[in-house]
Amino acid sequence: MNETGVPIVEAQGIYKRFGELEVLCGIDLKVSKGEVVALIGPSGSGKSTLLRSINVLERIDRGSIAIDGSPMVQETQGKAQYVSDTELRRMRRKMGMVFQNFNLFPHMSVLENVMVAPVQVLGRSKREAEEKAMDLLGKVGLLDKATNYPYEISGGQKQRVAIARALAMDPELLCFDEPTSALDPELTGEVLKTMQDLARERMTMLVVTHEIGFARDVADRVVFMDRGVVVEEGTSREVLSAPSHPRLKAFLGLVDR
Amino acid sequence: MVGGLSVTVGLFAITLVFSIPLGVLVAGLRMSKNQLLSNLTKLYIWIFRGTPLILQVVFFYYGLPNLGIRLDPFPTAAMAFVINYTAYFAEIFRGGIQSIDRGQHEAADVLGMTKAQTMMRIILPQAFKRVLPAVGNEAITLVKDSALVYVISLSDLLRVVTVASIRDFTVTPFFVAAVLYLLMTFVLEQVLAYVEARFSYYE
Repeated sequence: MNETGVPIVEAQGIYKRFGELEVLCGIDLKVSKGEVVALIGPSGSGKSTLLRSINVLERIDRGSIAIDGSPMVQETQGKAQYVSDTELRRMRRKMGMVFQNFNLFPHMSVLENVMVAPVQVLGRSKREAEEKAMDLLGKVGLLDKATNYPYEISGGQKQRVAIARALAMDPELLCFDEPTSALDPELTGEVLKTMQDLARERMTMLVVTHEIGFARDVADRVVFMDRGVVVEEGTSREVLSAPSHPRLKAFLGLVDR
Repeated sequence: MVGGLSVTVGLFAITLVFSIPLGVLVAGLRMSKNQLLSNLTKLYIWIFRGTPLILQVVFFYYGLPNLGIRLDPFPTAAMAFVINYTAYFAEIFRGGIQSIDRGQHEAADVLGMTKAQTMMRIILPQAFKRVLPAVGNEAITLVKDSALVYVISLSDLLRVVTVASIRDFTVTPFFVAAVLYLLMTFVLEQVLAYVEARFSYYE
């Protein structure tokens, strides 16, 4: 873990409501480079919303978020003020996102899915992008599926393509929003293994997950959220093996079997 | 007869070539966050979908000269058709664009794509596939709607056969016209089937 460097994500005092519902009630979160952080908690605890806020898929109401040391949103006079759209797009490139429902582009082959953003956004040549895409597909074990379309492959394979697509942009942080929740149990293993490989390479990851086993084995740090606040956080050993808060104890008793 | 056919086919082709891209553009304006733009577009669509095409053709033909715009019958008809069909296509494309899952926008977003890139590379290609049957429907209707230009004394297929029928005291020309319309729509259906097949490489 890199304790001295600038954190890749530093969120402070995040508030977010959907209508009447306060989803995030003053959240602080810090992710250091090279660290794997698991965000766990019951449904509706706000963990996905927090992840989506960091990726600017949701806009927060109050609080501040800095990405790699530069402010993305800051609070002025009690309201969150974002940097310009161009600046946001530039900062977003540092972050990759893997969705629960994969969100692959159905009209593009597996290879095109991985190539499109480097070509369009980074202005890489097709040849260069293809080389890198094939490399990444090899890494996630899907070289033989390069010319297939998403509808032709399994859910686990789709999610690995989604991981390759995110990696193609050379992100400094990879976010996962319940990456195995839409998968049949027998397919979750291959996705978790891919993520484990990434963790071993010191990829910085922020993972919203229900897989307590993954959090225990792979995450450096675990953050437990409930009802819009961080209830407990620490090393995975501290949080998962010796939980102190009753709500966390209840949660672990509920999901860990 | 050949002259009448060329007016019909010409009007059909010009209307499609202009109103499909314009329809995409108007659909974009209709979904604009700018309330004024969006509302003006709604008004335009309401007027041109809400009144008979034949009325619009007549209005353009007799009304425009009052505004000092003098156009030959064919350009007048073509203009009315393009404006009318654009309104329909705009709503078809809007439906198609809005039917694409939010996740597709989000995936493009997090990859750093601009709104324009997302539209051109991700959303429109998928939307086109979904609206093809509806667009095909409109195209078939257009073949037959073209007969409306008859009212502004354009010599399209219907007018030519009507004249021939009166001159020769026979209804045969109408049968010929019916067969020609069926032939045109048959060819069009084949083209549409081909395009749909081209788009069916996924899902």
